[in-house]
Amino acid sequence: MRGKTSESARRIADELASCGVKLVASLPDNWVMDVIDTIEHDDRFIHVPVNREESAIGLCSGAYMGAMGSAALMGASGFMTVVYALTKINYTYEIPLFLMATLRGAVGDRHKHHVSNGLYLLPVLDAISMPYRIIDKPDDISSISRCYRHTRTYSRPMAVLFTRDLLRGGL
Amino acid sequence: MKYLDCFRAIARHRTDEIVVASAGNSCQAWWAATRDSVGSFYLDASMSLSTMFASGLALAQPELKIWAFMGDGAFCMNPGMLMVERQMNLPNLAHFLVSNRAYGATSNAGLPNFKDNDYAAIARGMGLERVFEFSSLETLERDFPALKASNAPGHTFVVLEVEPFSGDEQKMEQPPFDGPELKFRFGRHIESVTGCSVFGYRI
Repeated sequence: MRGKTSESARRIADELASCGVKLVASLPDNWVMDVIDTIEHDDRFIHVPVNREESAIGLCSGAYMGAMGSAALMGASGFMTVVYALTKINYTYEIPLFLMATLRGAVGDRHKHHVSNGLYLLPVLDAISMPYRIIDKPDDISSISRCYRHTRTYSRPMAVLFTRDLLRGGL
Repeated sequence: MKYLDCFRAIARHRTDEIVVASAGNSCQAWWAATRDSVGSFYLDASMSLSTMFASGLALAQPELKIWAFMGDGAFCMNPGMLMVERQMNLPNLAHFLVSNRAYGATSNAGLPNFKDNDYAAIARGMGLERVFEFSSLETLERDFPALKASNAPGHTFVVLEVEPFSGDEQKMEQPPFDGPELKFRFGRHIESVTGCSVFGYRI
């Protein structure tokens, strides 16, 4: 299964590079470790591990003002901590931001401590009117570019949510 | 050192630096000192993210010199930012920690452990090497040109020990802009001085 998931990570990296992403700011979630590792070792990117997810929001927002493409990568729990930063920076100033997070707590996630994310992650996204797209299989990875471009049209943040099936296989 | 006097002194030493000001008093003070609405971004209500924002900009445009202000109220919400800053170690970034030992934007409400916080020591403890402290206008005026002229590698961290705003100073005007106007004013300025394309189109 490792080979399949690494292939997904490589395709995610290729897709990010194709839409001009240079900076990737991340905080880990077990599900995205392959993605982080792939980006860390890919010269097309500057990978900045951050101390908390809000720092990724600040970094990517500043990079936008310097015309550098960027993406924030985090787990669902991390996303739940960034609502203030997103609404105060990206909504107030209308600064685009592309965010990738895990869809924890959904069917297939056997970790009970992610039940809260299963219950509240999507409702929180809806509550702040933040568009998102769920990426569940490798063939959907190509939608990353469209979502990234939508942040530039929408002038606000958008998220793509990676499922366990995509990142870890469907076992 | 009076907060506003400190900012006016720094403004006098400014040449082409791009500025990011943080929530509350630093926005008010920088606006009062400069009335700059193109080369300064007032990241109001950012609660500890002004230097992360500035780091992203500094990374994207390494030929620009970036000054970022942050109050110690914001700093205590996210001191781990210094780990990220040290890791990035951007030579074109100066982080000014404005230490008024209070939550200035909320009527000088009490800051935890305000008597003993040693911000320079915290920065050095995270590996920062270019750390400066100023607690008087005289030393700031005397030493700031050398700090600014230095060509040493690595990013700069400057602690400014200032008095909290008085009641009258708290009433000073906030930069009178909505967010999108600031975004475009600032972004167009970045485009004009660097030649980059922030918004993907020119007017």
